[in-house]
Amino acid sequence: MRKMDKSRLLEIFDRVKSQYSGFLTAVLWKLTGERELFEEALQIGLMKIWQNVEKLHNNEKAAAYIYRIALSANSQAWRQRIGRNGQISLERFQNEPAAEHKIQDSDTTEKIRRAIAKLPAKQGRAIVMRYLEQRDYSDIARTLFCSEETARSNVSKAIAALKKKLGSLSEQEH
Amino acid sequence: MENNRIEMLLKKIGSEQIPSDIEKIAEREFSKFSDKLKDQKHISFKEYFMKTKLIKISVAAAIILIVLAGIPFFKGSGPSITLAGVYEKMQLVDAFMYKMKMVMTGNMQPSMPSGTTNMEGTILISNEYGMKMEMEGIKGDSNQKMHQQMYILPQGKKMYSIMPEQKQYMIMEFDETLVERMKKQSNDPRDMIKQVLNCKYTDLGRKVLNEVEVEGFQTTDPAFMGGAMGDLKVVIWVDVKSWLPVCVEMSIKMSEQMQMEGVLEDFIWNLQVDASEFEPVIPQDYTTPLPGGYKMPSFNEETAIEGLRFSLDNTSKYPEKLDIMTMMKDAVDIFRQTEDIDVNNLSQEAQEALSQKMIETMRPMQSLMGFYMMLVGEKKEPAYYGDVVGPNDIDKVLLRWKTGDNEYRVIYGDLSVETVDGSVLAELERQIQQ
Repeated sequence: MRKMDKSRLLEIFDRVKSQYSGFLTAVLWKLTGERELFEEALQIGLMKIWQNVEKLHNNEKAAAYIYRIALSANSQAWRQRIGRNGQISLERFQNEPAAEHKIQDSDTTEKIRRAIAKLPAKQGRAIVMRYLEQRDYSDIARTLFCSEETARSNVSKAIAALKKKLGSLSEQEH
Repeated sequence: MENNRIEMLLKKIGSEQIPSDIEKIAEREFSKFSDKLKDQKHISFKEYFMKTKLIKISVAAAIILIVLAGIPFFKGSGPSITLAGVYEKMQLVDAFMYKMKMVMTGNMQPSMPSGTTNMEGTILISNEYGMKMEMEGIKGDSNQKMHQQMYILPQGKKMYSIMPEQKQYMIMEFDETLVERMKKQSNDPRDMIKQVLNCKYTDLGRKVLNEVEVEGFQTTDPAFMGGAMGDLKVVIWVDVKSWLPVCVEMSIKMSEQMQMEGVLEDFIWNLQVDASEFEPVIPQDYTTPLPGGYKMPSFNEETAIEGLRFSLDNTSKYPEKLDIMTMMKDAVDIFRQTEDIDVNNLSQEAQEALSQKMIETMRPMQSLMGFYMMLVGEKKEPAYYGDVVGPNDIDKVLLRWKTGDNEYRVIYGDLSVETVDGSVLAELERQIQQ
C-alpha cells in the first residue's frame, strides 16, 4: 500500500526521471546494444522505478538503487529475449556501413552483454561503473558506500565471473 | 577468453556513443510512461509492458502441467524387502494399464475456478513406447467439460498434450538428462513405489479388497515426490499372491486452499501393445499456444540461480518455499499483478502470444523447483531458507546441498556461490537461526 498520494508520487517520479534519464539511456543502451531490447529494458526499468519510487525519495543511496534497477531491468529484458528465440540478434548492424566486418566482433560483444546480464547484482554494478561508465575506484566506492578495496575486489570478481560465463556460453553454442 | 581481452571489449562497449535515435526512443518512452501514470488510476507491469492485463486461466493450467511434467524421476535405493520385491516384480511387466480417478477441491488462486474438479481416465504404460493418458472430467464450479490426452514418449524425447474441447495441443521437448530418467522410471505406479521405498513408510498389514487379499504400505513422509507436494498420504495395496499393486490411494493437501484425492485401480498387467497406440493424433484444425514447441529446461546450479534471480526481479523476494503450490502461486502472481481478470477479450493470436511469453518466462522457476526436487530425490541434504533470507543477506545461506564427504555447496542471499565444509556450514546456519 502506498503511503503517499499519487500527485506526490508523480512529482518524485518526475524528479527521479529527470535526474537519471541520461544515465538510464546510456547504461541500458550499452548493456543491450540493440534497439528493441533497449526499449524493453527501458520500459521495465521505468516500471521498476515507479514501483519503488517511495524508496528513491530522500534516500542517500538512491543512486546505488538506480543501478540495481537498471541491471535488473537489463537482466529481465535479456532473459525474455534469449528465452524467446535463443539467438543473437544482428539487427543493430544491419543498417550500418561495413556491417559484414563488424559481425565477428559484434558476436563477441553480444556474448559479453549476455554474460553481464547473468552476473549477480553487485558484480554487474561493478562492471557497469568501472568499464561502461569508466569511473575510477574512489568514485565507485563513494557511490556504493564501500571502500575502494571492496570496489576493486568486486570488479576483479566480476571479470572472473564473466570469463567463466563466456566460456559456458561458447560451449552452449558449439 | 583472457582477462585483458574481456577488459578491452568492455572498454570498447563503454566508449560507444549513444546513437541519436536511441535518445529519441528514450525520450518517447519516458513521456509515454509519464502520460500513462497521469492518465490512469493504477498501472501494472503487465498492463504496461506486456500491453495487456488479461491472463487466460488455461495458460496457468498449462503451466501446472508443464511444471508437473518437469518433475524429475529420481534414482534411489530402497531398503525394504516386501515393497522392494513388489517393485522388482513390476519391473518384469512390459506393458500395463489402469484407471485413475482424481478429485481436486479448492483453488490455487482466489480468482481461479474453485469448487470440486472431478477427473477420470485411463493410463497405458509401455516400457518400450512410453505413456499414454486420457482424462475426462468437469472443472470447478464452471461445469466446464475437460478432456485431455497426454503422451510421454521417451524415444522421441517429447511430451504431447492434446485438449479436444479447446481444439488445442502442446508439444514439449525434453533434454537428454530428463529423457534418461524417464526411460528408467516413467511417471507410473512403479515410480510411485520407488518413491515410497525412498521415504519413511509403514506396513499396514493385510485385508481383503474386492475379494483379493492385499497388504498395505503407507507413507506420509513429506520427502515423497521431492517434497513438492505438501501434506500427503499415499497407500499402496498389493495382491499378496501376485505381488502386484491392486489399488493406490493418494491424499494430498497442497495448500490450505487446495486438496487432491486420487485412486489408481483396475490394473491390467502384461498387456500386448502396438506402437500405433502411442502415436498422437492431432487434427489439422487444432492450434497450439506454443507454435515453436517448448523445450524443458535443465536442472542445475546455474539454472536454479537464474530461477532465484527471476523471482527476486519480479517479486522483490525469493520464493518462501520451493514446493509446487508456492512456486505456482508466485508464478501466477507475477503475471496477474492486477485484480482484474478478463479471460475472454483476447484474440486468438494475442492469447497465443501471451501463452508463449508466459510459459517461456516461467522457465527459470521451473528450473529452480526441478533442481531442488532433484537434490531431495538424490538425498543431497538440501535446505532452503527463502522464508528468512533475502537479497541483502550476503553472508546467509539461501540454499545449500551436499556435494561430497563433509562438503557443501552454498548459494548465499546475494546469489553468490561457494563450497564450504561442514563446520563452516554449521556456523553459517547458526547465524540464520539467530
